Amino acid sequence: MKNLGTFSAEDHILHLAWNGDGTRLLATPTSGSILVAGADAQILETLPGHGMGNGESAWFLDQPVTCGFDGKVRAGSREWNLGRGLIERVKASADGKFLAAAQGKALHIFDAEGNDALSLRDLEASVVDFAWNPSRTREVATVGAGGATLWRLGQKKPFARFDWGGASLRVGWSADGRWLATGDQTPSVHVYDIPRDHPLHIQGFEGKVQALAFSKDSRQLATAGSAVVTVWPMTGKKGPDGATPIQIEGCESPAQALDFSSNGQLAIGDGAGTLLVITFEKGQFRRKRSQFEGGISSLAWHPSLPLLAIGHEDGRVMLLSLE
Amino acid sequence: MSRIPVTILTGFLGAGKTTLLNRILTEKHGLRIAVIENEFGEVGIDHELVISTDEELFEMNNGCICCTVRGDLIRILGNLLKRREKFDHILVETTGLADPGPVVQTFFVDEDIRDKTFVNGVVTVVDAHHIARHMEDTHEAEEQIAFADVILLNKCDLVPAEKLEGLEKIVREVNALATIHRTTKAEIDIAKILEVGGFNLDRATELNPHFLEPDAHHHHHHSDISSVGIEAEGDCDGKKLNDWLSKLVQEKGQDIFRMKGVFAVKNQADRVVFQGVHMLIDAASGGPWAGRPRKNSLVFIGRNLDREALNSGFRACLA
Repeated sequence: MKNLGTFSAEDHILHLAWNGDGTRLLATPTSGSILVAGADAQILETLPGHGMGNGESAWFLDQPVTCGFDGKVRAGSREWNLGRGLIERVKASADGKFLAAAQGKALHIFDAEGNDALSLRDLEASVVDFAWNPSRTREVATVGAGGATLWRLGQKKPFARFDWGGASLRVGWSADGRWLATGDQTPSVHVYDIPRDHPLHIQGFEGKVQALAFSKDSRQLATAGSAVVTVWPMTGKKGPDGATPIQIEGCESPAQALDFSSNGQLAIGDGAGTLLVITFEKGQFRRKRSQFEGGISSLAWHPSLPLLAIGHEDGRVMLLSLE
Repeated sequence: MSRIPVTILTGFLGAGKTTLLNRILTEKHGLRIAVIENEFGEVGIDHELVISTDEELFEMNNGCICCTVRGDLIRILGNLLKRREKFDHILVETTGLADPGPVVQTFFVDEDIRDKTFVNGVVTVVDAHHIARHMEDTHEAEEQIAFADVILLNKCDLVPAEKLEGLEKIVREVNALATIHRTTKAEIDIAKILEVGGFNLDRATELNPHFLEPDAHHHHHHSDISSVGIEAEGDCDGKKLNDWLSKLVQEKGQDIFRMKGVFAVKNQADRVVFQGVHMLIDAASGGPWAGRPRKNSLVFIGRNLDREALNSGFRACLA
């Protein structure tokens, strides 16, 4: 591992996101200015923060898009003031044609021109998190109190609904579009096999599941609800149902950040500064463990290179080459 | 790491919560207070310390009112607690029609929040001019009073002085524990709002259930929400007490809004203090009796409380 450079934001790093070609990294702290850096850790741009708190940022039309507690979304020179109500995250659809921002019981959806006619408003529950379907790019899933709801753009009614009554904190959609997984406040994970319309409830986590990630080939789902990260095989007919997961130990405190690289390596970061890089081989895995100062709050693999961005609770962002 | 105090501000629509919030935000009290507002009122949105959010309720366990919490609060507080620059105090404003229960429960149920914050108190702003009607018409106004540690009987300038005593009695019938301040335009020393300590177990030792004894001469308001106080000499049997409280909250927890108590437990030299919200109970050692008479005091505030049953249930726990 080689440290390629470090830069610092003003506060705890909330989120990291590379742009499509991996030339720029967007580092969003919980408060204060949002930074755009190059792959050499040089700061290229400093974007204004969002008052009391920033939400998770994204790239849209190769521009950084930021949001936050002030109810605003900024994309380059454009600003949408969506009124009162914090915005916790923005995400672009996989084809890059749409940008969505969750705000209370609305999911604002913008196209490249900034039109928001496809927005979903007055939903039954607040949108805690949402995920675009990577394979069918006009589908989006929202989660919150009650469970998960699946929408097609242009339709006012959902095309599928997975109600389980509790509250989900995070949602991920597998790259092949088959699986939807939620990390829940009640320590559990819900996995939905969408074509089979079949829900699966995985319990036994020590704490609420605030991080989950699918591998880019949709064959694995990593979930963090404690210091042990569980990786579920998703290849069988029934996915994780009846399968034996891989349990990855080595964290010193609950894992806070997970990310799969394009070649299937899994990076895990915890609040004690432990970084695990896992390489999977024929049902086994190799673990590389490193210890850093300051808890790791966010991780983002470069889209094509063996380069990992590590966001720390103290505001530092480190770029690490794993060549 | 010291936990950050949280004050929950409730009050019926138009009672003066926003006026109080604006006062808290603009007065020079030297504290850095984050305000999470739920009712998009007239507090300046551009104020750097205000966060606006939609109330978002969810059940931790299906169907259990006591496990209903505020998801938006968990996430916002989670974010605030990550900051390098910490806040001195957090104030959560609820909507006029909100049941304060889920807000309070959020701070008990979510581990991360419980470890890093504590509920300092529930402050309820009451419109003195309209309170009698609000209490007749809605459950919410009564419940907000029932949960309170501090009640601001606001808009007193709109009510003849001779009527205020009667209004206080109406409020007291629902919640005999809260401190009542009469105010106009929510003018009050901010310290009386922020330094409440209502959920502080140490303060539970200040209980005086005497004034909760039924008073046949003062029935101004016929509410199903009331306060019941119990006082008894002698030591409790710890196991019996534990069993009784567990059964009580299991069976009646939905109707019990708040409870506090100080116990003399057999074979325990120190006081045992407890407090609870619905089914959630917190107990700890309350330190030595320090010359005070060794006796048991407890107070329940809730709906359809059976005074006799509570009394006999508790007395059966005496050693």
